[in-house]
Amino acid sequence: MNLLTIENVSKSFAKHTALDDVSLTIPQGSIYGLLGPNGAGKTTLLRIINRITAPDKGRVLFDGHDITPEDVYSIGYLPEERGLYKKMKVGEQAIFFARLKGMSKSEATSKLREWFDKFGINEWWNKEVGELSKGMAQKMQFIVTVMHNPKLLIFDEPFSGFDPINANLLKSEILELRDKGATIIFSTHNMSSVEEICDHITLINKSRNILSGNVEEIRHKHGSNIFEAVYRGNEAALLAALDKRCEILESKPSPTGINRIKLHIASDSEVRGVIATANECVELRSFSEIIPSMNDIFIRAVNGNL
Amino acid sequence: MNKTAIIIGREFNERVRKKSFILTTLLTPLLMIALMVAPVLIMEYSEGKEKRIVVVDESGIIAPALQNDGEMIFEPMPVTVEAARSAFDTHFAILHIGKEIMTNPSDARLYTNEASSINIETHIANQIESIIESEKLKAYNIENLPQILSSIETDVTLQSFKNQVSESDEEAVSSSSAVATVLAYALSFMLYMFLLIYGAMVMQSVIEEKNNRVLEVMVSSVRPFDMMMGKILGVASVAVLQIVIWIVLVAVVGYVVVTTMLPDELAAAVAMIKQGAAIETMQESTDIGLLQAIITLTDIGYLARIFASLLLFVMGGFLMYAAMFAAVGSAVDSPQDAQQLQTPIMLPIILSLFIMMSVINDPTSSLAYWFSFIPLTSPIVMMARIPYEVPLWEIAVSLIILYATFAATVWGAAKIYRVGILMHGKKPSLKELWRWTRYKY
Repeated sequence: MNLLTIENVSKSFAKHTALDDVSLTIPQGSIYGLLGPNGAGKTTLLRIINRITAPDKGRVLFDGHDITPEDVYSIGYLPEERGLYKKMKVGEQAIFFARLKGMSKSEATSKLREWFDKFGINEWWNKEVGELSKGMAQKMQFIVTVMHNPKLLIFDEPFSGFDPINANLLKSEILELRDKGATIIFSTHNMSSVEEICDHITLINKSRNILSGNVEEIRHKHGSNIFEAVYRGNEAALLAALDKRCEILESKPSPTGINRIKLHIASDSEVRGVIATANECVELRSFSEIIPSMNDIFIRAVNGNL
Repeated sequence: MNKTAIIIGREFNERVRKKSFILTTLLTPLLMIALMVAPVLIMEYSEGKEKRIVVVDESGIIAPALQNDGEMIFEPMPVTVEAARSAFDTHFAILHIGKEIMTNPSDARLYTNEASSINIETHIANQIESIIESEKLKAYNIENLPQILSSIETDVTLQSFKNQVSESDEEAVSSSSAVATVLAYALSFMLYMFLLIYGAMVMQSVIEEKNNRVLEVMVSSVRPFDMMMGKILGVASVAVLQIVIWIVLVAVVGYVVVTTMLPDELAAAVAMIKQGAAIETMQESTDIGLLQAIITLTDIGYLARIFASLLLFVMGGFLMYAAMFAAVGSAVDSPQDAQQLQTPIMLPIILSLFIMMSVINDPTSSLAYWFSFIPLTSPIVMMARIPYEVPLWEIAVSLIILYATFAATVWGAAKIYRVGILMHGKKPSLKELWRWTRYKY
């Protein structure tokens, strides 16, 4: 079941095309990474999902129907540029934003109390937002985004500005929300966080969707048949034995006696042969494929070398 | 609950709870009174240091008749001008009256050692004039001249009435032009201040919200149009509250003054006139101008009409201008960038202030008439006309045009706002703003 489907969406502004025929589907209950270099069109896509702007062409389906104004109540959006009223008190302000998302005042108050207890920040209630540190304001913004229990959460660079401890706290909150059934769209440049928490990704470059799919599948698919072997034994003998079977990329003997070697094996069918050959002349400790990191895939995809 | 209402509530609370709002609301009337009273007090109590003026009178007629007053002391000296000018250089001035002063009125010179002023010079010239006039009268040898002069002296107070035949009684309503003038000034000036101050407030706060990116958060749950209307209406309700507080303050103070501080005979006179007595029957000692002013000021119907139109024109004018200010605020990143774009909005406001001045000179001029219908100037100009009694239909037509224009500006401003709040970086030109209104969203 897909919570959100983007079908052939295009959007252009006066002089440039922000999105060009972009399609993607976001499965219910997934954490979906939306990647792309600056200016690729991610923010425009997020704004279209939020109904801040309308697409020129194409449609957006939410929970099976064309998205309606009421659906914004089921969406929580944390924009990249955080914004709160500096002169307004924390509690009052959070309630204000919750009411704009359709909650009643009393409902918002009790929900907010829960979150404040959870984060241990009850004493902030009557502080002005301007008195909070940047990280504290970020936490509050996070609460404002999720407190109306939206089905779809959109986080634009959620970890920027957080220290590692709070980033972890946030990460576990996000995973918990997913476990409770929320679907999460994650827009970021931070590839390690993508590998850690995203199930699916879409990579947008120059207004187009250039890569979509399950993170593990993508990484394996774009592996370039490079393997690494760790062994004990004679380096020269191994190099001589493997010379005809595959391409040696790098060989690193080590004084500890545990050596490493990087190989490129042209086709999958030769992998067994290579392992057998290596096994005969040295004591193999491990033999594994090097799966490219999302970072490598990102850079290669954007540069057009995928 | 309606989102616009939630935003109105936030804007209203945020402003009304500020100490500065409470202070300005209470202090502004005091300040206004102080501004009106201060010049009078300064005139009363500012006695400059005394100015000694040496008088060299070659005609022998003027010097004996010159009157010293508080500041100016005339000291006739039997010396020549040249001697006086070199000897008395520590005095304020030397006044030289020529021999031919009776036949040649410009045969008088003032040599000053210190800075002189028009006031002093007019004062001296007036004294000399009246001395010469009475000398000339004397030459006709009229008997009992002083008595005749004092018996013909008169001071006319014109009673003005609105010429309208009412159905119930034939009595004409006495109206005080002095009160109307003061009200016209005060009300239109107040409107001018409100449009500028509260309009700029809307613009400032849009710029601020745009800068700290609150708008990006809000825009995902509220339509830009509702956001803009919420802000404008929120600020408008603050303005209305302030006006209402002022009206109540003025009414209470006015009531207290009229009931407790009015001299008894004046109060009695007012009461009698209200019961139908004619002004002519009052004792001669009563100041009829003052009486008329009090009667106008205690005419509840007249005041209610004025305040009702004040509220309607403040609302209409403010909503119209605030929409434009909001559009400008949404398009820029800083108040500095706003300067250029807000000039075309400020111009009609300032223009109306100048037209208001001419309205007060002649409330029926065609300039006043037409500009009180043109929507950009109508709030201020019409407000200046209303105290002089304007036909109801004219007010109604002016209001309809104003509110229709308000609807049009809101429509256009919302289109700019919608694009502007998400644009950062470059400062758009007026031409680009126009293009924004045609973007499809």
